Amino acid sequence: MIRVVLVDDHAVVRAGVRAELEDHVDIVAEAGDVGDAIDAIVAAKPDVVVCDVHLPAGTASAVIRGVVDRGVNTKFLALSVSDAAEDVIDVIRAGARGYVTKTIDGGELLQAVQRVNDGDAVFSPRLAGFVLDAFSTDLDAPADPELDRLTAREQEVMRLLARGYAYKEIARRLTISIKTVETHASAVLRKLQLSNRNELARWAANRRIV
Amino acid sequence: MAPVTTTSALPPVRWQIPPIDPEQRWIGGAAAAIATEIGVQPLVIRGSFVVLALAGGWGLVFYVIAWAALAILNPNLRAPYYPVAKGETTVHRHGAVAMIVLGLLLGLRSVAFGFSDQIVFPVGFVLLGILIAWTRRDDEAGLSAVTRTVAGVAVGVGGGTAFIILVTLSADLTAALLLLVVAVAVAGGVGIVAAPSLARIGRDLDHERQERARADERALVAAHLHDSVLQTLALIQRHATDPRRTAQLARQQERELRTWLYNPPSPSSQPGTVRIGSALEDMAAEVDATHGVPVKVITVGDNSNVDHTAIEPLVAAAREAAVNAAKHSGANHVDVFAERYDDRIEIFIRDTGRGFDPADTAADRRGIAQSIVARMRRAGGTATVHSEPGQGTEVELIMPLSAPNPTTTTTTTRSDP
Repeated sequence: MIRVVLVDDHAVVRAGVRAELEDHVDIVAEAGDVGDAIDAIVAAKPDVVVCDVHLPAGTASAVIRGVVDRGVNTKFLALSVSDAAEDVIDVIRAGARGYVTKTIDGGELLQAVQRVNDGDAVFSPRLAGFVLDAFSTDLDAPADPELDRLTAREQEVMRLLARGYAYKEIARRLTISIKTVETHASAVLRKLQLSNRNELARWAANRRIV
Repeated sequence: MAPVTTTSALPPVRWQIPPIDPEQRWIGGAAAAIATEIGVQPLVIRGSFVVLALAGGWGLVFYVIAWAALAILNPNLRAPYYPVAKGETTVHRHGAVAMIVLGLLLGLRSVAFGFSDQIVFPVGFVLLGILIAWTRRDDEAGLSAVTRTVAGVAVGVGGGTAFIILVTLSADLTAALLLLVVAVAVAGGVGIVAAPSLARIGRDLDHERQERARADERALVAAHLHDSVLQTLALIQRHATDPRRTAQLARQQERELRTWLYNPPSPSSQPGTVRIGSALEDMAAEVDATHGVPVKVITVGDNSNVDHTAIEPLVAAAREAAVNAAKHSGANHVDVFAERYDDRIEIFIRDTGRGFDPADTAADRRGIAQSIVARMRRAGGTATVHSEPGQGTEVELIMPLSAPNPTTTTTTTRSDP
């Protein structure tokens, strides 16, 4: 069973997520703030951490960096009510493997946890929209063409994700395997994390919540 | 005594003679020390010593005594000294002020300098007033600051004026000129006293105004939360047994609150133009409210406003498609994705519901689909409906945007050769 740590400052939210997940995953610890979360994750060494973006005295990215500093290797799935591009991009660039909103239903959340545990990326339609927006400006001279641009296929996959398609529906529509869809999604996540294009930060800061 | 006594963080509040920085002392540092301790300008004390020195040499005597006391009572100048916080020794300070003024008056009288009571007393009152006003604490604000300033001015002006009137009653001719000098001195003294205090009061008022603005802002937020969030929470409690209605209310409120928090109406936006994203959000909120199915909107490339006339048929078609999905598909939500390109806007309205067979002409959903297609065609765009029984439905809308400048340029270059 996948071992999971829940981090959210609202006990009600933790209880809700626990109720949705506990039949299928092993919830080994819960925490409500950045310090507790780092300690709990370092102690429990879970497979996946489901982490709220906004915590008292910090954000999920502080938890991710703290855990990495303590030498623990685990995978993060960000869960948030905030759809602010700045927060989403920040937590992904800190190393989260995916981002979903709290309105996600139980089955989708479980799928997201499993996908993150398998090392794949999880894109909510909103995150896919952000990626398309952030990478939409054409660069005359990209610093690193490998990282600063999406391929045509990656754009196609992101568009379908933003349109609400599930991975298997995308696979059928593009007549490729689900594994290939996952590969494209992981490649986009990597670009999002590693690209140094200035537009990314500026875009995220300027973009307001929808 | 133990070598290490209590090293409290709090400075001891007591009357003591402060060691004076060599750079601050003029002769022995006595005047500077007294000034530091009672919290007035050293110049006041120095002036007092000078006046007293001229008054039969008493100033010199006092100075030597003060300097000796400084040297004897406080031999360890390296010991940490905590200046007594301004305002914590008000009794001491007021006592000192009173003594200084008294000394000045007596000194002036004994020397006489050709001055009579007519001058000594008004000037004395003015000085007393100035000193009362100066003893104000830095952090003192509001009523007590005003009181102190008013008291200072009243003592100076009132005392001076009263004495002038007394003198005038028994006036001779030379007194008239003297009177003028005194009046000018009083006015000058009042100015000196009032200026810094008025400035301070001005700052305080400014501070109060900011506080009030902040309170107003809070009240505005509270009022809004009361009208919206609290009302919705009350409604949700009443509909607790109806999960669908509850969820709908919550979504509606969430949408409304997000808009209020993050998308304040921008006054700079041109009339007659609209953001495709906000137009679709409004549509989504309306469909959700009417049909109880959440509509999630994702927008890409929505960087600037678009002409209202271009958007209207597009949003109307999108609404029709979303309503169609909400009413007939049975899906638990509808996804709307809009992307703005330089030359067109594309919108996809998708549900994962039961779908239908586009070839089945009898289906009512096909009729609606046709009306969407017809509407888009009339407006100069296209609409395509993709559906399959059991596979959900997706409506694709494409609306070309007239880009005014590039079109003209293309036409010109073509006719050139």
